[in-house]
Amino acid sequence: MSAALLQLSGLSGGYPPVSVFRNVNLTITGTEAIGLFGPNGHGKTTLLKTVAGLLDPWQGEILFAGQRLNSEGSMRARISRHLNYDLFRRRKIRARDVVRAGLIYVMQGNLLFPEMTVGEVLDIAQRAASGRQGVGEMRDTVHDLFPRLRERWQSKIRFLSGGERQMVSIAVGLLALPRLLILDEPTLGLSPKLRLELAESIARIRDTKVPLLVVDQNVEFLTDLVDRLYLFDHGTVTAEIDKAHMPSHDEILAMMFGSGQ
Amino acid sequence: MKYAPPFHHSNGLFPVLVALAVLLVLPLVFTDTYVRHILILVFVYAILASSWDLSLGYGGVFNFAHIAFFAIGLYAYGIGAKIVGIDPWIMILLAPAVAVAFAALLAMPILRLEGIYVILVTIAAAQLVLKIVVSQSDFTGGTSGMVMLPRLTMGDYRLTSDGRIGYYYVALALLGLSTIFLYKLERSALGRAIKALRDNKYYAISRGVSESRIRLFTLCASAVLPGMAGAFYGSYVRVASPDVFGLTFLTLILSVLLVGGVSTIWGPIIAAFVVTIFAEVLAEYGAWRDIIIALVIIGVVLVYPGGLFAGLQELWDFADSRKTALIAAWRRRFRSASRAALMGSGDRMISTSHGDISVFDTGPGPGKPALLFIHGNSSCKEAFHNQVKAFSEKYRIVAFDLPGHGVSRNCDPRADYGYEAYAKIAAEIVEKLELGKPAVFGWSLGGYVALEYAVSGYPISALAICGTSPLGTYPDDMPAAYIASPHMELAGKRFHSWKEKRTYAAKTVPSGAPNAELVRQSVWRTDGRAREQTVAKMKTVDWPRQIRLLREGAVPFAMINGTEDPFINHDYCAAFGYANIWRGSPQNVDGGGHAPFLANPDEFNRVLGAFLEEGGSASEQ
Amino acid sequence: MAFDTFVFILVSGIVLGGLYALMAVGLAVVWTTLDVFNFAHGAFVALGAYVAWQVTQFAPGPQGFVFATLAATIFMFVVGFLLHFCLIKPFERSPNIVLLAVITTLAASSIMESSIQLIWGPREKQIEAAVSGRFEFFGAGIGANDLLALVVALAALAGLALFLRRTSTGRAMRAAAQNREAAELMGFNVAILFAVALGIAAATAALAGAFIGSLRFINPTFGADPLMKALVVVIFGGVANFTSPIYAAFILGIIESFSIYYLGLYWAPAVLFALMIAVLIVKPEGLFGNRQKTL
Repeated sequence: MSAALLQLSGLSGGYPPVSVFRNVNLTITGTEAIGLFGPNGHGKTTLLKTVAGLLDPWQGEILFAGQRLNSEGSMRARISRHLNYDLFRRRKIRARDVVRAGLIYVMQGNLLFPEMTVGEVLDIAQRAASGRQGVGEMRDTVHDLFPRLRERWQSKIRFLSGGERQMVSIAVGLLALPRLLILDEPTLGLSPKLRLELAESIARIRDTKVPLLVVDQNVEFLTDLVDRLYLFDHGTVTAEIDKAHMPSHDEILAMMFGSGQ
Repeated sequence: MKYAPPFHHSNGLFPVLVALAVLLVLPLVFTDTYVRHILILVFVYAILASSWDLSLGYGGVFNFAHIAFFAIGLYAYGIGAKIVGIDPWIMILLAPAVAVAFAALLAMPILRLEGIYVILVTIAAAQLVLKIVVSQSDFTGGTSGMVMLPRLTMGDYRLTSDGRIGYYYVALALLGLSTIFLYKLERSALGRAIKALRDNKYYAISRGVSESRIRLFTLCASAVLPGMAGAFYGSYVRVASPDVFGLTFLTLILSVLLVGGVSTIWGPIIAAFVVTIFAEVLAEYGAWRDIIIALVIIGVVLVYPGGLFAGLQELWDFADSRKTALIAAWRRRFRSASRAALMGSGDRMISTSHGDISVFDTGPGPGKPALLFIHGNSSCKEAFHNQVKAFSEKYRIVAFDLPGHGVSRNCDPRADYGYEAYAKIAAEIVEKLELGKPAVFGWSLGGYVALEYAVSGYPISALAICGTSPLGTYPDDMPAAYIASPHMELAGKRFHSWKEKRTYAAKTVPSGAPNAELVRQSVWRTDGRAREQTVAKMKTVDWPRQIRLLREGAVPFAMINGTEDPFINHDYCAAFGYANIWRGSPQNVDGGGHAPFLANPDEFNRVLGAFLEEGGSASEQ
Repeated sequence: MAFDTFVFILVSGIVLGGLYALMAVGLAVVWTTLDVFNFAHGAFVALGAYVAWQVTQFAPGPQGFVFATLAATIFMFVVGFLLHFCLIKPFERSPNIVLLAVITTLAASSIMESSIQLIWGPREKQIEAAVSGRFEFFGAGIGANDLLALVVALAALAGLALFLRRTSTGRAMRAAAQNREAAELMGFNVAILFAVALGIAAATAALAGAFIGSLRFINPTFGADPLMKALVVVIFGGVANFTSPIYAAFILGIIESFSIYYLGLYWAPAVLFALMIAVLIVKPEGLFGNRQKTL
C-alpha cells in the first residue's frame, strides 16, 4: 500500500451535541490535488476545521504523513449539558501541531487580521516558519504568484478587496511551507474576473507540486484543477470520482440531487 | 418557540407549593429574630437577583446599574419618607417610579450600544448617581448616609415587633409578587420579544420587534422590583448608605444570580438562600470569608456555569431516565407472562449495535413470509397484539420495542435515539432472525423509521405506513401534513406531567376504550429523551430521499389511516404524488383514530391483509 | 486666574493623565485581545502598589523605589499571566464568556483585596518616593516625583507601543486579538499570547500602582477608584487604537484638574461621568474610536 499523505478514516464530528459530519473516509496520496464538492450547509467547512485542529473530532482518525494528528479514543458522550467540559477534557487535536506537521488550512472568506498591514501579516507568517528549509524560495514563489501584494504592502487588510484578501490568506498558507494546502472556497464571493485570476494562481500553485485539497462551488474550476473529486452530501462522502471519469457539471448535480426534480 | 405548559400543569407546581408552605410556617418555628433577619435579607437578595435576570439573562442586556435601581429606591424612600414626610407605605409604592425613571434615562445611551460597552456605561452611570448622592450631603447625608429612616407600621402596630414577624411576611409577599410578575412577564408576548431580541437580534427586528422599545421596556420593568425592594430595605434597616453602590454588594448579588443560573426565575431564588446562609455561616472569619466565598463562586462558575437550577434540572433528568429504566427492568423481569398472554408467546432480548432490544417473533414456518412491525412514539410492540393473532397463521410476525420504549433498554440518546439508528436496529433484527425480505409496517414515528429503513437499502418486500404523513421538506410541510394541536408538542417533550401523559395517551386511544391501559402504560415507561431526540432529529432526516422512494415507487407501498386520525391531514396525504401506491390512494379505516389497528382491528386487518396478499406477496424466505 | 495657577493646574492634569493612561491602557489591551472586561484591574493596581511598598521596606531610598517598581511590575506580570488560565481560558469557547468573565474577575478582585487586608492590614501606607523637592516651571511649583511619574508612564507606553508594533510576539498578539482562529491556523499558541496580554495589563497596573502609592496614601480597597477612572477613560476614548485611550486619559486628566479647581473635589468626578455619558450618547464608540475592534 502506498503511504497516504492524508488519510481520514471513519471521522465524525460537529459542535456538541450536534453531529455535523459522520464516518468520513478520504485519502490523498503523493502530490495529488483533490476536490471536495457538495451543497452549502452540509458540513464541509466543519470537517475541514476539524482536520485543521480547530474542533475536536468525535470519532475516527486523522493520519497525516504517517503521523496521527488526533489523540486516541473517541469522544465520550456528554452526560451533562452544563458541565464545563473544556475544563476537564484535553483537546484531542491542536491547530499548532497540525500546522507544525505541515497541514495548512486556508479558511473560507477569511478576513484575516483587518487592522494589520499586508507586510506585517506576511512578516509574522514568515517568521513563524523561520529556520526551516525553503522559506526563502517560498517567499520568492509567493511574490511571484501574487505581485499585487507587493503593491499593497503598507495597506491594512480591511482596505483590501475580496480577491486581494484571499491572496493574502493563500500567501500566508504558502509561507507556512505546506506539505498539504487546504483551500476552503477560495473563489467565494469574487467577481468573475477575479475568480479567473485567482483560479489561475491556484493552478500555478498546483504546478509547484504542492498537494492541494480544494473545496469550491464551481464545478468547472474544480474538475479542471483536481485529479480526483469527492462528493460530499449530508455530512459524509458519498462518491469518489477519478479524473478519467470526470462527469460534467450537470451530471454531478444529478448525482447529488437526483434527476427529474 | 418551545411549548411551555402553564405552570399549574407542570412538574414544578408541587415543589413550589411546598416551598411556599414551608416559608409561611418557618417564622412560627424559628422565633429567633436573627434567623428571621437573615431570611428577610434572603428575600431581598432573591428579588434583586431574579429581577436582574430580566435584563441580564432574558434580555441579554448587560446592565450593571441594576444595583443602582435598588440604591435609588432606598434613597428615594429615605428622602421621601424622612425629609418630605410622605407616609412610608406610599413611599414604597412611589420609590419604584423613581427607579423606573432612572432606568428610562439609562436606556438612552444603552440603546445604541452592545456587549461590553453596556457593562461600562451602566457601571459608569451607577457611579455617576453615587457621586451625585455623595455630593448632595444636605439631603443624603453624604458619605455617612442617612439614618433613622421611618419604619413601617400598621395602625399602631410596628412591623418590627414580635421578632420582626411583620417585616418577614411583607418581604415574603414582595418576593411572591416579584416571582409572579417575572413569571407572567416571561410568558407574555413581551417576554418572548425580549428573549427573541437576545437570541437573534436582527431576525427579531426583521419580524417587527422594535429593539429600542423592547430594550426600554426591559430596563424599566427590571427596575420596578429593585426600586420597591430598596424602599422596603430602607424601612427595614432604617439606614441608607452609599455602600449599596459599591462593587462588593454588586458582586454579592451577581454571584447569587450566576450561582443560581442565568435565564431562570427559580435559580436566583434558590441561590439567594444558599449564598446568604453560606456567607452567614462564615461570618466570623473576616477577610477569609470573602476569599472563601470568591473561591467558591469561581469554582462553581468554572466547573458548572449553568448554576444551581440547571444542576437541579439535570438531577431531575437523571432521576427521570432512571425511573423509566427501572420500570422497563421491572416489566422485563416480572411481567413477561402477561406480555406473552397478550401476544401468544414470549419475547427475547437481542443485542444490536444500538443497544439491547426486546424482540417478539412467532418463529419461522414453511412458506411463511415475514412481516415486521415498527411501533410509534411512546408506544410498544404489544400495540400490535391484534395483528399477531390475525396474521400469525400465514405470516412470521416480528415486532420489537424501540430503544427507550417497552421493555428494551434505555440507551445513549445521541447515538441510539433517532431514525437512522432505529432503521439500523430493524435491519440487524432482520439479519439476525434471517427474515429475508420482510414486509414492513410502520406506525406514526415507526412509519418514518420504516421509510428510512426502505431508503437505506435494507431488504424489504413491501412497505405499509399508518398515521404518518410523508414530508417533502422539513419543517415547511409540517403545517400542511399535520393538524396542529398541543399534542404535537407533547410528542417531542421530554418530561410529561402526569396530566400530559394522560392527555397524550388519550389522543392515541380514548381513555376507557379497550387497550387504553396498554397505551397509557407505555407512555409512562418511555424514556423522555427518546421523544426529545426523535422529534429534534426530524431536522436531520434526508426527507427528499424518502420522497424519491415514494415518487419512484420502487417498493410496493400502502398507506392505511384511521378516518378519525386527530393528527394527519388526509387531504395532504391523498394529494401527494405517489408513483406506486396500493389501490391508487391512501386507504382509510372507518372509526379508527391515530391507532386504527387497536381501535378497529377487524377492519384494519382486512385492509392490511389484502395489501399483503395483492401488493406485497413477493416476500420470500 | 493667575498664569502660574493655570500652569500648575495644567501640569498636574497632565501628570494625572499619564497615570490614567497607564491604568487605562491595560484595561484596553485586555478588552481588545480577550474580549472581556477585567474587573480585577483595580485590584491589580492595589496589589502592585502593596508589593512595591513591601520591597521599599527592605530597600529604602531612590534605588529602593526603582527596584520596588521593577519587582512589582514583574510580580504582577506573572500574576496576570497565571490568572488568565484560572479566570478566562476555561470559558474561551463559551457563548457566555463576557458575563462569566465579569464574575470571575470580580471574585478575583475580591480575593486580592482580602489577601492584601490579611497580609498588610487595613492601615493606610505610603511608598517612599524616589525623588523629592519641587522646581519652578513658568512660576508654578511642580513636584519632582510628579514629573518622574509622568516620564516613566510615557516611557512605559512608548515601550508597549513598540512591543506591539515591532516585535513578532507583539504582532502575533495583535493578530490573535483580531482573529483568533486565523492566528491558531498560523500555528501561534493563542492561550499563551492571551496570557501575555493579561500579564502586560497587570504589569502596567502595577507600575501605575507604585506611582500612585508614592503620591498619596494607599489602603486595601483603593483600587476601586483607579478602576473607575480607567473605565471612564476607555469609554471616553474608545479602544479603536492603542493610542486612543491615551489621548483620552490626558484630556480627562486636565479636565479633572480644572474642575477640581473650579467646582471642588466632590463635583469633579460627577463632571467626568456626565461628560462620559454625553460622549456615549453622541458617539458610542468613543471620541477617537471606530467600531472595529483592534489592538
